[in-house]
Amino acid sequence: MAVRGAGDELRRIVHVNEEIKSVVATAFKINLMAMNAIFLAKRAGQTALGFGVLSNELRRFATDLQQQMAALREMTYGSVGTVTGMLKQTQLNRVLGRAHAEAVGVGRKLIDEFLRGHSEVMLQHEESLAALNRRLTHMIADTTQLVELGSVLARSAKIEAAYGGAFSVSLMQVSSDFERTIGEIQRSLETISKHQSQEVR
Amino acid sequence: MKTAQVIFEDGDHKWLAIVRDPNRPSYLVDTNEYLVLAGDDAILLDPGGGEVFSAVFSALSTVFDPRRISKLFASHQDPDVISSLSMWLEFNPDIKCYLSWLWGSFVPHFGGDAETFVTIPDGGMDISVGSQRLQAIPAHYLHSSGNFNLYDSGAKILFSGDIGAALLPPGEDGLFVENFDRHIRHAEAFHRRWMGSERAKRDWCARVSRLDIDMLCPQHGAIYRGDDVRRFIDWFGQLEVGVLGA
Repeated sequence: MAVRGAGDELRRIVHVNEEIKSVVATAFKINLMAMNAIFLAKRAGQTALGFGVLSNELRRFATDLQQQMAALREMTYGSVGTVTGMLKQTQLNRVLGRAHAEAVGVGRKLIDEFLRGHSEVMLQHEESLAALNRRLTHMIADTTQLVELGSVLARSAKIEAAYGGAFSVSLMQVSSDFERTIGEIQRSLETISKHQSQEVR
Repeated sequence: MKTAQVIFEDGDHKWLAIVRDPNRPSYLVDTNEYLVLAGDDAILLDPGGGEVFSAVFSALSTVFDPRRISKLFASHQDPDVISSLSMWLEFNPDIKCYLSWLWGSFVPHFGGDAETFVTIPDGGMDISVGSQRLQAIPAHYLHSSGNFNLYDSGAKILFSGDIGAALLPPGEDGLFVENFDRHIRHAEAFHRRWMGSERAKRDWCARVSRLDIDMLCPQHGAIYRGDDVRRFIDWFGQLEVGVLGA
């Protein structure tokens, strides 16, 4: 198992977490936009029935996305705990390595034993982190699918807007906003996936 | 995990308190960490021990990008104050640590090298954070022999390290002091035992009385605000310190 430094891993987690925060803020925005869209559809009446249904679905999408991102954040905080364990272990190994280089005779043998024990602990940390990262990667894939659904809903809302009669222009504007905002989330998820692909291997 | 709470905000000048971890093991003393932000720059005050690094780092990350922390301030040399140093350095090797010159060759046992430390002379110094200039205020012998508070005149906040600290029981561990008389009972034994010098105490009281302070933020326990700041300074001025027992 090739291991990057624990400090690198911590910096990678921060990158992921910062993007997650950005998606959470955007999901909140979509929720508000969807609520406004529902009111607009009600005002538009019969001609915007389809748009109203899609706005409801977009609101549900935003809520699901917020929950999904909350779970992702929890996982990244769990990873910080594991990486902290690795940081401690790395420091200990460094100290023991120096002691090993200087020690002779029985002292050297004792440090050898210590180092073997600590290698096993480090391995456990790495396995635990790798498992967390696998779960995180799966959750990011699930979230990407969810956002794809949001994107389809936004496109459908755009089509429905065309049938909005006198409200068509307003509905078109709202659905374009949805499409653009969901596009932002897709870009953030791509960045998260990129950072995630640099995980400990 | 701890929680990060905004205690002061004026545009891009902010103070965050990182406090109260429900999962903290009972054998570890509870600590408060504070983050001062100004523009794109930030300084973390008394970053805490290695055992709380994960809780502090995660709490900070909920509201702030920790890559922006360029400086650490250690009020003194205790492990609950600065033993997480090596972990912060693994995260950002360029981070600078401000602390008393007295501990300049002791604290490196926790981590760091000659490039890491900016030592503060006994008389104190200014520390720039973004557009703000914070002042390291001498608080020697309270309790450490090389000890500093940090004053932010823009926010009118004094980070007081162990001065004002209280060991609060569960249920009485709110972020702010709400009832001074009830609160101060949890601070008394600590101050009598840990603060070693009457003269240093009197000097400190005189020094900080000249500052305009809205909040006095200790490393343990609750934050004093408004009239409770003056009450605390007066109470401390009257307290007999450097004694065993009550």
